[in-house]
Amino acid sequence: MDALLTAHNTLTTHANLSTTLTTVDHLIDLLQQTRDNIAGPPPNTTVSAPLQIAKLKGPIRQTFEKAEEDLKEVNKGLNGYQKAWKEKFKGKDGLGMEGSGESLGGGGGGVGLGLGAGSGGASGGLAGQKGLVERAIAMHLLREGEFHVASTFVKEVSAQSRSRNSDGIEEDHSWLDDFTTDSDNVDMEDEHLEDDYEDGELYAPEVMERGYLQRKFAEMYRILDALRNHHNLAPAIHWANVHSDELGARASNLEFELARLRFVELYTSPQPDPSTSDNPDPSFSGPIAALHYARTTFPSFHPRYTHEISALLGALAFSPSLPTSPYHTLFSQEPTRASIATLFTTSFTTLLALPSSPPLLTTTNAGALALPVLTKYSHILSRTRSSWTTSQELPVETPLPGSMNFHNIFVCPVSKEQGTEANWPVMLPCGHVLARESLEAHARGKGRCKCPYCPVEFRVEGGGKRVFI
Amino acid sequence: MAELISTKLDPDSHLLLDQPLLRLPHELLRKNLKSAQRHIEIANKGIATSIQTLTTHSSPADTLAALDATLLKAQSLKRKLKALHAEEAILHRQQKARIAHLQELHDIPTIADVKYDVWAQTRLDRLLVDYLLRQNYLASARQLAEAKGIVDLVDIPVFEECGRIEASLRGVHGECGDVREALGWCAENKQALKKIGSILELELRLQQFIELARTGEMDKLMEAIAHARKHFVGGQDTLYGLRAGGLLAHAPNTMVEPYKTMYAPTRYPYLAALFLRTHHTLFALPAHPLLHTALSAGLSALKTPTCHSAHNPHRGMFSHQHSSDKTTSTMSRQSVPPLLTDTPVCPICSTELNELARGVPYAHHTKSYMEDDPVVLPNGRVFGRERLRGLNVKLGVPEGRLRDPTDGLGGAEWAWGEARKVFIL
Repeated sequence: MDALLTAHNTLTTHANLSTTLTTVDHLIDLLQQTRDNIAGPPPNTTVSAPLQIAKLKGPIRQTFEKAEEDLKEVNKGLNGYQKAWKEKFKGKDGLGMEGSGESLGGGGGGVGLGLGAGSGGASGGLAGQKGLVERAIAMHLLREGEFHVASTFVKEVSAQSRSRNSDGIEEDHSWLDDFTTDSDNVDMEDEHLEDDYEDGELYAPEVMERGYLQRKFAEMYRILDALRNHHNLAPAIHWANVHSDELGARASNLEFELARLRFVELYTSPQPDPSTSDNPDPSFSGPIAALHYARTTFPSFHPRYTHEISALLGALAFSPSLPTSPYHTLFSQEPTRASIATLFTTSFTTLLALPSSPPLLTTTNAGALALPVLTKYSHILSRTRSSWTTSQELPVETPLPGSMNFHNIFVCPVSKEQGTEANWPVMLPCGHVLARESLEAHARGKGRCKCPYCPVEFRVEGGGKRVFI
Repeated sequence: MAELISTKLDPDSHLLLDQPLLRLPHELLRKNLKSAQRHIEIANKGIATSIQTLTTHSSPADTLAALDATLLKAQSLKRKLKALHAEEAILHRQQKARIAHLQELHDIPTIADVKYDVWAQTRLDRLLVDYLLRQNYLASARQLAEAKGIVDLVDIPVFEECGRIEASLRGVHGECGDVREALGWCAENKQALKKIGSILELELRLQQFIELARTGEMDKLMEAIAHARKHFVGGQDTLYGLRAGGLLAHAPNTMVEPYKTMYAPTRYPYLAALFLRTHHTLFALPAHPLLHTALSAGLSALKTPTCHSAHNPHRGMFSHQHSSDKTTSTMSRQSVPPLLTDTPVCPICSTELNELARGVPYAHHTKSYMEDDPVVLPNGRVFGRERLRGLNVKLGVPEGRLRDPTDGLGGAEWAWGEARKVFIL
């Protein structure tokens, strides 16, 4: 990397066109001077015009030679850069990448990782799924909160698809209906943009209106904005109340965390509240307001959060000297606010049955990790001129970090094959699990057979019990 | 997926996706240099010849006039060079930004680091803008690049120009395309095109010939012949000359191949595609959007057979229902039981990517990956005992009783004794 940087710096400092510019300037000066000399020659010179011009030839030639020299410098700089670049990326041939890129996306039929075969599947693969890729991109843009970009994108896609449809090319763009709204501007400050659905209706088919996703994400960003920037918890608390049943069913702590943060807020910011006539002392107004709040909201959290509630209420006794009390860690607001924002985003997306981190991001990260393995494999394949025999499965293992394991994997210990729809895992009466085909092969023709891994015998009829990993 | 994979980041292999990033400014710089060289050469010749002629002149007025002309030439050279230099400065800046971006990756030790997420987000934005540019969604691309602050990391001007020329080739809907802009581009890049042996210019000239011949009028046909003589003769490829000649003998509505295809308006999309391919080869751009590559690899690496199985409890809400002839596809929301386990939803099972991943092969594993202490419920589902216990507590299931979390509160209830230990090797 450093070599690249140095090469680049060479380019910017002296191997560029600025030197040529100065040379050309010089030439212009020369010409100008000669012209002036001829036009109005200084009185004490006896130089004649043709002589002046003859004198010009030499310097002009020299200047042009210098200019070419300068250009050669630039060329050298560029070559140096190219060398550094080749050094850095040596052996990481991009060609394999393109071949494998398309062939990996090849349709369910033959998927050839061979570099020649790859281009044959180019009409299928991801290139043929344009509509779906675009839908994924649009959803991603909405997730990221880039509403303007998303609406521009949708407009452009519709325009292009219209022109393409009239050319007779069939493409599937029905998903666009979900994204176009009648009003193109999603009003971020519109307080009335709320979904008044009851919890049960969230899954009802009638709710599929235009712009549904866009509105949902707009709402999410509105609440997040209030939470983060305006320190206003009210929209978030309201949302959590509306969805409290679902949140509870998912055992989410969001509601309580919000209530707790509100308690802390009230506690630490003394509010001059003249209406509370029974409290003339302003230094206690914060904790008293917090206490009022606690009285109204905390009872609903009682069975699950008793411990935390008692901690918070115990802190009331320490109100004058909070920083030195044992409770001060509970009251640091900023980290809590950030983590609540994350928790809110996660809960919101989970309720929409979407993954909490954008799937495009996770997938591209996984792709970046898997690509070197796959390219190396395709190189080896092309060298040994063999081909890839399994079409449904990748031929080589692509290790990913633990955070990217979303499913349990079952690999039959006998046949070393993964459990699939065609060959599912079955459990023997002793508790060991094999692939169905391995069991059938093992027990072929026999009435009773023994588990391959322990001395338990069992009768075979009906096969083992199917398990869902 | 091996469980004990380290999260250490190997920057060099990680940067496979980002190779083309650094090449493009370099190629553009080279092009810049070549045009500078060309300008200087032309100016050199011009000035030298005018100085040459000057010496034969005798009258001072003529000399002055000639000198002025020479001065003008020199000044225009300076102007051109200045413009090139300004472009060069921009390219340098872009290059610096890109190198800095890649350099950042070297400073990140592991994948688990928060900085990696930030870097990966920038990379994804870059890939998205690249994809949008290639699909000709130029306004969205520009907006996204500006919103995310990555204008220097992507090559919007290059693609804008490319898109413009391609659009002119395809032509406004219903009319023929226009080859002039493409020809202009060819003239600019003549040397480079010759180096890669491209047939683009020949095809474009042939198209002009076809247009002239299409009219059928006599004078146009003579023009066409002159045109053919100029461009198709002398090259090593006599095919074009032969085809052009044969075309003259056939009327535009002929049924004879290959002349029918030559007259057909589908030649314009073919020319547009050819231009695109040539352009990308010239600038060392990958032929397919990088997003495709990254996505295919990622989808494959993440996919498991359960992602598309009917028994998948994680199946997303908005799955695309395909009817058999694919003419009616509605996004309907299936009534999926609410997802009550707290594992994050797999990206492949999510609505955005589920259909996309259907054609992709699933990842290869050699070892089972399972939670600790698995137990099997009477309905066949397998869970880790502790996780199952925790989920049941959250559900509020009474002590000693057991539910399947994926069925939620509506499912069957069993006693804990009915959950049997299972051995996954």
